[in-house]
Amino acid sequence: MGETPNEFQLNNPPADGISAVKFGPNSSQFLLVSSWDTSVCLYDVVANHLRMRYNHPAPVLDCCFQDAVHCYSGGLDNILKVYDFNTNSGTNVGTHDAPIRCVEFCPEVNVVVTGSWDSTVKLWDPRTPCSAGSFSQPDKVYTLSVCGDRLVVGTAGRRILVWDLRNMGYVQQRRESSLKYQTRCIRCFPNKLGYVLSSIEGRVAVEYLDPSPESQKKKYAFKCHRIKENGVEMIYPVNSIAFHPLHNTFASGGSDGFVNIWDGFNKKRLCQFHRYPTSIASLAFSHDGSVLAIASSYMFENEEMKYVPEDNIFIRNVSDQETKPKS
Amino acid sequence: MGRKKKKQLKPWCWYCNREFDDEKILIQHQKAKHFKCHICHKKLYTGPGLSIHCMQVHKDKVDKVPNALPGRNNTEIEIYGMEGIPEQDLKEHEKQKANKSGTKSGAQDDDDDDDDSNGLPPMPNQFMNGMPPMPTSVPGPYMPQPPMPPLPPGGMMGPMRPMGPMGPMGPMPPMGPGQMGHMGMPGPNMSMPPRPPNFMPGVPPPMPHKPAMPPQSTAAKPLFPSAAAAIQSTEVSGSPKMSTSMKPTFPAAAAITTASSSTASSISANATITGAPVIKKPESSSGLTSKLMHPDEDISLEEKRASLPKYQSLIPGKNTIQQGMPPVSRGPPPSQGNPRMRPPVPPPQGMMAMAQGMNMQGGPPMYNMPYPGSGSNFRPQQGGGRY
Repeated sequence: MGETPNEFQLNNPPADGISAVKFGPNSSQFLLVSSWDTSVCLYDVVANHLRMRYNHPAPVLDCCFQDAVHCYSGGLDNILKVYDFNTNSGTNVGTHDAPIRCVEFCPEVNVVVTGSWDSTVKLWDPRTPCSAGSFSQPDKVYTLSVCGDRLVVGTAGRRILVWDLRNMGYVQQRRESSLKYQTRCIRCFPNKLGYVLSSIEGRVAVEYLDPSPESQKKKYAFKCHRIKENGVEMIYPVNSIAFHPLHNTFASGGSDGFVNIWDGFNKKRLCQFHRYPTSIASLAFSHDGSVLAIASSYMFENEEMKYVPEDNIFIRNVSDQETKPKS
Repeated sequence: MGRKKKKQLKPWCWYCNREFDDEKILIQHQKAKHFKCHICHKKLYTGPGLSIHCMQVHKDKVDKVPNALPGRNNTEIEIYGMEGIPEQDLKEHEKQKANKSGTKSGAQDDDDDDDDSNGLPPMPNQFMNGMPPMPTSVPGPYMPQPPMPPLPPGGMMGPMRPMGPMGPMGPMPPMGPGQMGHMGMPGPNMSMPPRPPNFMPGVPPPMPHKPAMPPQSTAAKPLFPSAAAAIQSTEVSGSPKMSTSMKPTFPAAAAITTASSSTASSISANATITGAPVIKKPESSSGLTSKLMHPDEDISLEEKRASLPKYQSLIPGKNTIQQGMPPVSRGPPPSQGNPRMRPPVPPPQGMMAMAQGMNMQGGPPMYNMPYPGSGSNFRPQQGGGRY
């Protein structure tokens, strides 16, 4: 279980649960980390050094880069903040009526998207920055992902909505999750063909956006992140999915502490890393797919837990062998 | 597995009654003969697996297991090797065999290599494998048996015969079944008192590898490298007993779930807070007990966590509406307190959610103020802005 030569732990990890890790848009040097300790931290991964840090009044549930020097973050304080790393200053952009669960930037449309437990998705124009619209969702937003100019939203009640970011006047597709349990994470394929959806019940579905029957036929789901121990099968939430930006393969991280890399088109698992100390809360590939950031952070899945394991971020250099489809 | 006493029988195929020397071969046979997809020739692992594969992959219905005897072609029964054979068929088969060839000897149930992975001491296998060669030197309680490696079909031995010689082998250091064949047994030990615990003359030894191998573990085996993702999920969803599967293809099931979840949510939206709907327990697809490592309420881990007092205290706008919450001093500087400590038990989830929902609405912080909004009979809603 020790560290491997191609992996190391970040110094000065957040003092409480890690909610999200995100790599910068053009380099694998900077990693943005939001945490339940109310901070958003910018790490220099190369130097293994905490470069910058700012705080919200309350725990932060998600963050994203807009460009190399700006990031957005939101959390339990309902406030969306933008932070400028150059000037080292943060600004409140706007609020939701309930905690902000997801923050994403869509470069194609140049818009920041937030999803909240107030059952809305809001768009924000990063140029001003100001609100560019609020769009009601059928239920609390648990996860969202942008896919070119499309937005896939996963809400409580296992609902999935596909929006067109260029025309938010109507919902492009309404779907129900093909998994029977609460939606945990949705991430879109970099090739924009579809998305991967995970549930709290150790399962991942691969789905296609194209509603034609031929495409829909290809969708499938599989079980993962389950451990059999003493005749009991423990089924863990799949908390995080991260796509390799070039190969269209993806990593899944579960509360079992494992990270798997999958080739979704060929239905193959490419590899599994060693078991991390506790739940995988978030995963992120760098822009070129050479580095995977792994946040191992207890998520209160198990109420009987006596002590809370430490929160750590592992930076792993991954090879093509681990991430490229074997053709 | 109701199959323990079956020790003395050779593995046989439920679908066609053919017998095999080795369960491994039997499984190969089943995959090739009975579980092969007629369209893409993919070899599946079980009958249900095959039918689901065809349904999902080829949209083709397979309602009979190919090459099976009449009455034995049910695709819903999950059989893998000797696993899963209905009890009565087992008994019947046993009876038949007993009648037919009661005098033949040689318990020859070759175990497959899977056992090694089960962490069982391989010794029971050794009995089996080691047996044939040794008899000459071993005076058993019965007469020595001729070496008879591959048993003729129908070979059914008096259960005790092989036992004698086997006894001594128990204590030997574990070794791969492969090597066993060469093990000569010192004859003299043979009838010695120290016997392996499961050596019981006259009683077939318990089938050691079976119990350790839960019925489905085999089915789960295809797990990864082999593109089995689809199969797996399908296997699960297809077989009637399991309901855990995600099954886009069964709109009915899906509809039910939605219906239930939406009713649940609408209830919680209108009623006083009763907490979130409860997640139904997953049913195990593998016959194992399964445990969902998630709180019971059907809310996200983050919502649950956010309801912990240590975080609630950080949320601006906490107000007095939430009875049951200890009065909280607002806005302690972040990252204070001991984040590693597990906070005391949070108040009921519903409360928190409601509190959250409410305090959002007021805009300006209204700490410790009664909610001004809709009068005293305002019904807080779970999760804020739900409609």
